[in-house]
Amino acid sequence: MGSYRADEDYDYLFKVVLIGDSGVGKSNLLSRFTKNEFSQQSKSTIGVEFATRSIQVDDKVVKAQIWDTAGQERYRAITSAYYRGAVGALLVYDVTRNVTFENVDRWLKELRGHTDSNIVVMLVGNKADLRHLRAISTDKAKAFAEKEHTFFMETSALEALNVENAFTEVLTSIYHVVSKKALDIGDDPLALPKGQTINIGNKDDVSAVKNSGCCSG
Amino acid sequence: MWRDPGIPADSYYEVRPECAASVPQSKFRIKTGKTLSVRKWNAAFSPEGLLDISKILERIQHGGVHPSIRGEVWEFLLGSFDPQSTYEEREQTRENRRVKYEILKQLCKKMFSLIGSGRYVTAPIITETGEPTQDPIAISQIYGDSPPDLQKQALEDGPMDKREIDWKLTLHQIGLDVVRTDRTLMFYEKEENLSRLWDILSVYAWYDADVGYCQGMSDLCSPIIMLLDNEADAFWCFERVMRKLRGNFRCTEKSVGVESQLCNLATVTKVIDPKLHQHLETLGGGDYLFAVRMLMVLFRREFSFADSLYLWEMMWALEYDPDLFATYEDEGEGRDENKGKAKSKRQCGKFERENMRNGTAAAPLPISVFLVASVLKEKSAKLQAEARGLDDVVMILNDITGNIDAKKACAGAVKLHKKYLKKVKTGDGGQKFSFLVAFAK
Repeated sequence: MGSYRADEDYDYLFKVVLIGDSGVGKSNLLSRFTKNEFSQQSKSTIGVEFATRSIQVDDKVVKAQIWDTAGQERYRAITSAYYRGAVGALLVYDVTRNVTFENVDRWLKELRGHTDSNIVVMLVGNKADLRHLRAISTDKAKAFAEKEHTFFMETSALEALNVENAFTEVLTSIYHVVSKKALDIGDDPLALPKGQTINIGNKDDVSAVKNSGCCSG
Repeated sequence: MWRDPGIPADSYYEVRPECAASVPQSKFRIKTGKTLSVRKWNAAFSPEGLLDISKILERIQHGGVHPSIRGEVWEFLLGSFDPQSTYEEREQTRENRRVKYEILKQLCKKMFSLIGSGRYVTAPIITETGEPTQDPIAISQIYGDSPPDLQKQALEDGPMDKREIDWKLTLHQIGLDVVRTDRTLMFYEKEENLSRLWDILSVYAWYDADVGYCQGMSDLCSPIIMLLDNEADAFWCFERVMRKLRGNFRCTEKSVGVESQLCNLATVTKVIDPKLHQHLETLGGGDYLFAVRMLMVLFRREFSFADSLYLWEMMWALEYDPDLFATYEDEGEGRDENKGKAKSKRQCGKFERENMRNGTAAAPLPISVFLVASVLKEKSAKLQAEARGLDDVVMILNDITGNIDAKKACAGAVKLHKKYLKKVKTGDGGQKFSFLVAFAK
């Protein structure tokens, strides 16, 4: 095995998935968060793509591995691999298109069916910059999010509005779930053995990984 | 020694000035004496129009096709026409196909009036139960400012069968992708070209109901519309591309077609680079999902526009099988008489010849699988040394974007293919079993 690169040092690795209808802006949210880029000529996502970024939470480095997927329903046959081990999800709709909000319910059901009940979910209303075309009111979406016990935020990948906040809030919440879980089982999260997997639920999948960041195997 | 630096092909596919900095530069150069030229192409036909394809294949495998004749050359490479036919016969075939397309298109237009109208939709036009849409975006896209009484019209139109409902439910998805396909090119600045892409994909979705429309297909169709001016010709050329690739896009509730190619990729990698396969498996990438895009849109996202066309024609020349035309026509007509006829090796592409030599012609793996395998092999050392997670794998592979040479990649694929067939034949390392399993799937 090769050596660690300095920028690869992290304390926690969280897998987060981006879901939602086709064309709501998932890929641009991802590129805005990981590269601070937005593309006017963005292309449809084929299969699965992903990117990473590390952020600081408390005194810990949290690395997010964010998975992006095609919005078309038929691609969801590959979903089990896609959802496997996810500890967070951003469920994105387009505030200018009714149908993308109507489908949120279905996405949520599918997400819940494939992941652990402790998964941190945020409902994200993207394209908030298109004020004159808005079709979904903030109140309506907020009410839905409250009912479903998910976080909620409106974003604009184009204007870089709330994108950072949305991801950070999800990652911070996961961090809190994970560290609380570690405490619950009577284990000091700082004293975990190298690379030990912390399951935030009952599943055995690799979900949130505590990284020792010191050896090269 | 003096070498011809060649002419860059990008000038034939003009990029919008504001996007020039964000698209990769093409490596493909049009070279005198290497690239299939107009003169060489015309000289390969007999006075009656019979084409000696062996001369052409050799050229394409090495230097690609001159952009000005790409469309017509592709029609042969993809088996749209039989090289052993006369000009007259081909004109007849073409005419028949154009009529057939027009009938298909009119049928679609009857079901949905926007087909062929120069406009398209990006919002669902019906609900999943077949009720007319309430969506304001769809209504304004279809009817403008003065929508008719939709309920009344639905009653007049009568109930729809499942095929029609399924088809109508994909039309907005096609629209959503059309507006995101190759928008860096000047060609798609024109609304009429966007609607042409939408029309062809929509008619295809009806024609091939098993596949319908699946994301990625717009990437495959887009270049063909640029190469062939006639819409019907472009449709049938795209249909031939889909004959090669439609398996990848066929979906059931449990799987996407491309998964069987991913299995094949795993099998090939296991044989030629077992250590890499082992490493990928350890990282949780044993399903090779990271290669989905390369296989589905044949590296269109990894190459510049011009380079991907160059890559495709090289692949198709290498895979060329003179029976292609007869096989495709028979599939369509349900005939079987041409099967088992001896074919001349000279008329086959290099990759196909290797298959024939090894007797794997019955169920050969496509060259695309070996292309991906060769790209992985190229990056094998780096992947094994540096990839500690799947994200690293993707990052290392993303590195190839705009950085791989189509010709080298093809040469690598051919070499790997040869090596693979040899290893499988000799049962090297007990891999024969897994090879058979992959075919059984």
